[in-house]
Amino acid sequence: MKTQLAMVIDSSSCIDCKACMVSCKVENKVPGGYWRNWVKQREPRFGKIPGAKDPAAQAEGCRTWIIQAPDFDKVKGYGDPGSMHFQPGGCMHCANPACVQACPTGATYKDEKDGTVRLNDKLCIGCGCCIPACPYGARYRHPEKKIVDKCDFCAKRRERGELPACVITCPTKARTFGNINDPESDVARLVKENKTVRVVNEETDTEPNMYYVLTTAPMNWPRKAESPTPIRWWASLAKPLVWAVVGLNALGVLVMFGKQLIIKDEETEK
Amino acid sequence: MSDEQIKRHTPVTIFIHWFNAFCWFFLLATGLGLIGNEQLQPLVGTWWPSMMRIIFGSGEMLLVLHIICGLVWTVVFLIYAVFGAKQYVIPFLKEILAVVPSRDVMWLFTKQIQMTMGSKTLERMGKIFGFDAKIPDQGFYNVGQKLFAVPSILGGLVIVITGIIMALSNVCITDTSVVQWSILIHFVTVGFVFAGLLIHIFMASIAIGERPAFISMFTGTVPEEYAKHHHKLWYDEVKGKLDV
Amino acid sequence: MATKTDTSISRRSFLKWSGAATAAAVAGGQAPVLHSLAYTGEKSAGSEPEYHFSACGMCLNKCGLVARVENGIVTKLDPNPKFLKSRGMLCARGNAGTSQLYDPDRLKYPLLRKGERGEGRWQRLSWDQALDLAAEKLTKIGEEYTRCGVLFTPGSDMQSQFVHWFAEVFGSYNVTTHESNCLLSRNRAYLDTFGEVPFADVLHSKYIIMAGANRFESIITPDSIDLMTAMKKGCKLVVLDPRFTKTAALAHEWFPIRPGTDMSFFLAITHVIIHEKLYDEKYAQEKLYGLDKLTEHVKKYSPEWAAKVCDIPAKDIRRIAQELAAAAPAAMIYPGRRTSDYVNSTQIRRAMAIANALLGNWDKPGGLLAARMVGTTGPELPEAPFYDDNPDDRLDHGSAHIMFDEEGSFKHTRDAIIAGKPYPVKGWFTYKINPLQSVANRRKTLEMIDKLDFMLTVDIAMSDTAWMADLVLPAPSYLERQDPAAGLQGSSACACVVTRDPVVPALFESKPVFWILRELAGRMGLEEYFSFTMEEYREQQLRKLPDSERALREDGVYYNPSKLYGIYEGKIYKTKSQKIELYNERYAEMGLDPMPVCKPLRENVPSDRFRMVVGRNAYFTHCTTQNNTLLNELMPENTLWIHPNPAKKLGIRDGDAVVLSSKSGEGELKAELKKGIREDTVYMASGFGVLSEGLTNVFGKGACMAEILEDFTDELSGNMAMHETIVKVARKGAS
Repeated sequence: MKTQLAMVIDSSSCIDCKACMVSCKVENKVPGGYWRNWVKQREPRFGKIPGAKDPAAQAEGCRTWIIQAPDFDKVKGYGDPGSMHFQPGGCMHCANPACVQACPTGATYKDEKDGTVRLNDKLCIGCGCCIPACPYGARYRHPEKKIVDKCDFCAKRRERGELPACVITCPTKARTFGNINDPESDVARLVKENKTVRVVNEETDTEPNMYYVLTTAPMNWPRKAESPTPIRWWASLAKPLVWAVVGLNALGVLVMFGKQLIIKDEETEK
Repeated sequence: MSDEQIKRHTPVTIFIHWFNAFCWFFLLATGLGLIGNEQLQPLVGTWWPSMMRIIFGSGEMLLVLHIICGLVWTVVFLIYAVFGAKQYVIPFLKEILAVVPSRDVMWLFTKQIQMTMGSKTLERMGKIFGFDAKIPDQGFYNVGQKLFAVPSILGGLVIVITGIIMALSNVCITDTSVVQWSILIHFVTVGFVFAGLLIHIFMASIAIGERPAFISMFTGTVPEEYAKHHHKLWYDEVKGKLDV
Repeated sequence: MATKTDTSISRRSFLKWSGAATAAAVAGGQAPVLHSLAYTGEKSAGSEPEYHFSACGMCLNKCGLVARVENGIVTKLDPNPKFLKSRGMLCARGNAGTSQLYDPDRLKYPLLRKGERGEGRWQRLSWDQALDLAAEKLTKIGEEYTRCGVLFTPGSDMQSQFVHWFAEVFGSYNVTTHESNCLLSRNRAYLDTFGEVPFADVLHSKYIIMAGANRFESIITPDSIDLMTAMKKGCKLVVLDPRFTKTAALAHEWFPIRPGTDMSFFLAITHVIIHEKLYDEKYAQEKLYGLDKLTEHVKKYSPEWAAKVCDIPAKDIRRIAQELAAAAPAAMIYPGRRTSDYVNSTQIRRAMAIANALLGNWDKPGGLLAARMVGTTGPELPEAPFYDDNPDDRLDHGSAHIMFDEEGSFKHTRDAIIAGKPYPVKGWFTYKINPLQSVANRRKTLEMIDKLDFMLTVDIAMSDTAWMADLVLPAPSYLERQDPAAGLQGSSACACVVTRDPVVPALFESKPVFWILRELAGRMGLEEYFSFTMEEYREQQLRKLPDSERALREDGVYYNPSKLYGIYEGKIYKTKSQKIELYNERYAEMGLDPMPVCKPLRENVPSDRFRMVVGRNAYFTHCTTQNNTLLNELMPENTLWIHPNPAKKLGIRDGDAVVLSSKSGEGELKAELKKGIREDTVYMASGFGVLSEGLTNVFGKGACMAEILEDFTDELSGNMAMHETIVKVARKGAS
């Protein structure tokens, strides 16, 4: 079965130390002001809650999936202590990537060998059409290279047999990495043994290859995939228009040529 | 029928024409090959870009060659425009911009009917609708050729400028929307000029009676009879000059 | 689609001349810095990467790392997968080590002050000039004011022991470290209870109360990592903190305890455990001293009483005590580290230690652990000379009831220097420490510096302390150094030894402090005391560990599989009673409370004021590393955490500039409205509001914690008390 590299994240382990962000930045020479990965956070709700057991459904922002301690019930003190949440992420190397669909040249593509979404940095002209196409904002235009850049699951490290920088450095090992199509891999096992979710925009499901164990928050942050106006016009207006004009002219030429071949009249003498 | 030939195109003109043609086709082939995106690719599917990438080795090689060719094309034309301004470019521009609306519109109308429905029909129509069925005389270039030349040149300028913007995109451009609009305008302009090119190719080489014109793009000369028939005004001028 | 081929013509090389940056980098010792900073678009066809072991020096944890070097440049620092203490991780700071190594702001050569202190005008000296000058100055002070006329302040570093040794052979007793700004009160309390300062077996614990400690942000290995693992296995975490830290956020329960009242909480816990007989009586009889006295003492300290003091509901206190006891002995009150908070800090920790003792968790899985055998041995050094004219004692002697003589108390030392009594101190030698930023009451530190004839700082960056010095000597980063061996206590993870060898040669003219001290010794007739090389020193340290040299070379770490639990089996406790002391006789003899007595706060917070609390985050190491390019991006400036309710009353919105003032000083920074903080409390991170223009990423940003804090100290240990400062907050521009 084809390799599909993926990540499974237990975001409840994340302590927002940002080691993964700095590790990635160093490994991949990400320029200042930009990041290839991130840690999102969901703010807690504070308020005086009487010390009774609240079922998950009742309190908005209440976190109950994390650290289900078998012997201790979650009891609320002042405020809602469990409801802050950190969500590590990065390019999700989607199965149905909107960025690949947005690229005019095919410089960004899904690698058949390992399922990662890659960038051919020699073909990319930095037009930036792919940037608004990503619901997760995983792509950015490198200010010096002036082409697009994003996570490649640390391709060079993988070539040396190493794990991606963000995975190996994490204190709580929140990120697990591997081939999700290999049933023996850690990621496949995690997905099999746990309920997982993926963070997806309502209107754009790019089928991300990043799974969160049990659940995660915030959920509603990815944006709808957008295309720049010139590209939308190309697909919707320019292509049909050019087709029409070329087609009409070609038709005219063909008719004239056909007439020329078939009908012999006094004109052929000239 | 006399065999005499009149000089119509200089070696430089011939060179620049075929140089242009070759570059155009190479750029068109590679340019289409660069549109890897199925939604944007005018040819159905991605078979053309895939094939081009196999032939040339990779997408980036295709891009490099496309830009090199584009640059060579631009530079050669710049040299031609600068050094050949007086001898070639300005006369050429003068010629293709010289339009007499009443005469030339009539030429378009009558020539069109003659080509599609024949000379006899043209005569009959003239009698029925009351217009002079004679196809008006034309100069060095007929108005049809002028109608292709002007957009070609303007289109060419647009294509070069947008092409340069795209080539410089990852060198010195920070505003991606300029690049994105250039991508669209480049495509549309190429498409429109290509549409005109189909007619030019047909009219200049395949169409009935155009064989001498086509040959002149190699030999540089056209038969007198051809010139007299197709480009009377130019013929008269040349003959006038020669006679005097 | 064909994949990218490396051999194809690159558009970039055709169209762009990116070699400019690389070409410029072919010059002198600057080359590695510039080369690493310059964007190199093309992968240089260089040799295969090399890998070297080292131990991270971005904080005190010394996590084992593997440095990847390509073409002489350190391109990545990865965790050493064999390093158990860190559980094979490297935090944000560890990863940012390359930015310290290649920091464009780092000190490059010796600098001598020109103009006034703090003006920032420098003259470059050669090493010979600098060392000659330093030796001359130190000798002169030694002659005029005795050898104790020079204060030595080494930071937390593997070469600091050489500063201690130099001070000893130079002849000064006046050595202070950061410890009196950190954890002396904790050490005092646990020493005076258990006879030893414990480590925590977080991994196997079932119930942890963390009061003030913030392990998910203030990273200590393996505790910070083990805490998450333990919680996943069912350990319950209760956090007491006036501030909603990330540890509080991830805990099962968080209580915004009134600052300074932790003692009441733990006395109440003790009350419940004793009165509901939730302790092991047999254990108590065998191991605990003073239970009867304690039982009587805590009678009045009920949860109902405590609730009024600390703002935590009585029923919760009672319930937590019951849960804690039920989980015992695999339960603990986490001892923490930075206990530099209140004037009764030692006694607060005594209350915590006593409660721990009742849980019977000493020496057991999930409890408090004794130090494990590591096996390094102190090298055999010659006996230090004796200087007849030296005073009897160190400067701060007797300034606290039970001071640690080896650590002293920086606050009292500083006061003594300012006063010139009991005797003058005119010289200061600092190494890898930043008192101008870390010690409360910056104005007093500046006043102290004013009194000095000569101040010498060895550092890697132009910290605020270096900025004020007379002579600044550039030290290399940990990646450029060869260091002694260091034994590390990893609680249940390991007991191990690490060392360092240079990953890359030292940049610019930086020199390790070991070399500096040896050179100084040579110029001061003390060469015989520094006649060893680092290799010899290390050999001595490892002489009882025959396999250590191979292990350090091949694995980057040496493990001593020494006993973990039950170290005290059949042994006595190193206390007067030879048991765990709930009641401390010595304290009673000294006229101190033998058991913690809850007293009113030194100062209550007026309704229109706030209490300032301090704390850490995972991005920086205290007040250093803020200038690190990578880390600075995570937090470009500090903000004042303030609750929206009092902020609203003061007309302060989120992001507004505010002026913060106290009796010590004032500062200006942006406000950050946080519901996760008590309404009577404010917080700011340290390391900003710098004086030094040599820290180009942070100069002009934020405010300085040290400027604001008043320098109260713990009565027993002399530890700085940084939570006793009451501040006024006003919107900038408000009348």
